[in-house]
Amino acid sequence: MLFARGKKILGTAYPVIQGGMAWISEATLAAAVSEAGGLGVIAAGNAPFSFVREEIRKARKLTAKPLCVNVMLLSPYAEEVAHGLIDEDIEFIITGAGNPGKYMQAWKEAGKKVMPVVPSTALARRMEQSGADALIAEGTEAGGHIGEITTMALIPQVVDVVTIPVFAAGGIGDARGVLAAWMLGAEGVQVGTRFLLAHECQVHAHYKEKIIKAKDIDTVVTGRPTGHPVRVLKNPLAREFARREKEGCTPEELEELGAGTLCLAAQEGDTKNGSFMAGQIAGLLSQEQSCSQIIQDLYLGAEMLLAEKCRGENHG
Amino acid sequence: MLEKIKEILAEELSLDLEEIGDDSDIREDLGADSLDMVQLVMSLEDEFGLEIENEEIQSVTTVRGIVEFIEKKRG
Repeated sequence: MLFARGKKILGTAYPVIQGGMAWISEATLAAAVSEAGGLGVIAAGNAPFSFVREEIRKARKLTAKPLCVNVMLLSPYAEEVAHGLIDEDIEFIITGAGNPGKYMQAWKEAGKKVMPVVPSTALARRMEQSGADALIAEGTEAGGHIGEITTMALIPQVVDVVTIPVFAAGGIGDARGVLAAWMLGAEGVQVGTRFLLAHECQVHAHYKEKIIKAKDIDTVVTGRPTGHPVRVLKNPLAREFARREKEGCTPEELEELGAGTLCLAAQEGDTKNGSFMAGQIAGLLSQEQSCSQIIQDLYLGAEMLLAEKCRGENHG
Repeated sequence: MLEKIKEILAEELSLDLEEIGDDSDIREDLGADSLDMVQLVMSLEDEFGLEIENEEIQSVTTVRGIVEFIEKKRG
């Protein structure tokens, strides 16, 4: 059985966490993932706590299984969301884009399991010291906010410096990726981009079409000068970012150019002015499926693949 | 103490000692990003046997500032 430790800590049938994607990972998707045996995640993104609370309540009506909220620490509402979650009916908190150290104690006292996303071994060690229950080590292949190190290089290095379970994220889109993560020492996976294509995902149809059409080379990284680089699918907005960055635009001007563009992509499907965040694995993905089909293909597919490799069927 | 701090900075930020002045700004002049700061805090903790919260060090900007910060922490 693959990932026994990961499944144990999540308390789910499958060690698959659905990535927190701002404006995309809402109640319907999160509840569907949890119902299908993975861990559904509501993304707080840049939203105020009132919005997050409403999504939690909606999701809770749809599932009694474990649920999680992803707190984006760069959000102007990070503080109020972090405090608000203490009294909410969720089992897990994932944090992204920063160091959640100052909230850790309050969350642990409220019985929440905390899994920070880490892009380096130093932050991984730091988070274990602070009492994190598990880590999500995310490589630069991921969509949205990213670090510099690839998943292939990051996972074994993080696994070697901590004792808590590590989930792998970034670039994982099918059973092969899941099995590779296991080989690198991960206890489970977090998958974002593939869940964009879930039937239950409420994102605009144009967003799904862009993922399906994407080729391997169709993502680019924008916003490096701001210190918060973001991986998106190529489109006129991404090209405008590249042009302005080349011209030496200030970080403030770039932040302004990006403001509100993820919402335009996710809700309006504005293919010109929207920011279509997606991981490098988008090029591999070609069909819409239910959350249940996605999770089973990822996990059971990995088990089958391992059995096949062990039997040496691929050697003939 | 100042020399020790410079050695740690040189090690963690992959810099030559000569590049680090007493009043160099850690982030602006020496190029430390948020992940470097996490690494730096952990090295300072190990070296001086202290516990440092990440928030505490946010207001420290210069190399000399680190020395003052550590001296204050040690009482």
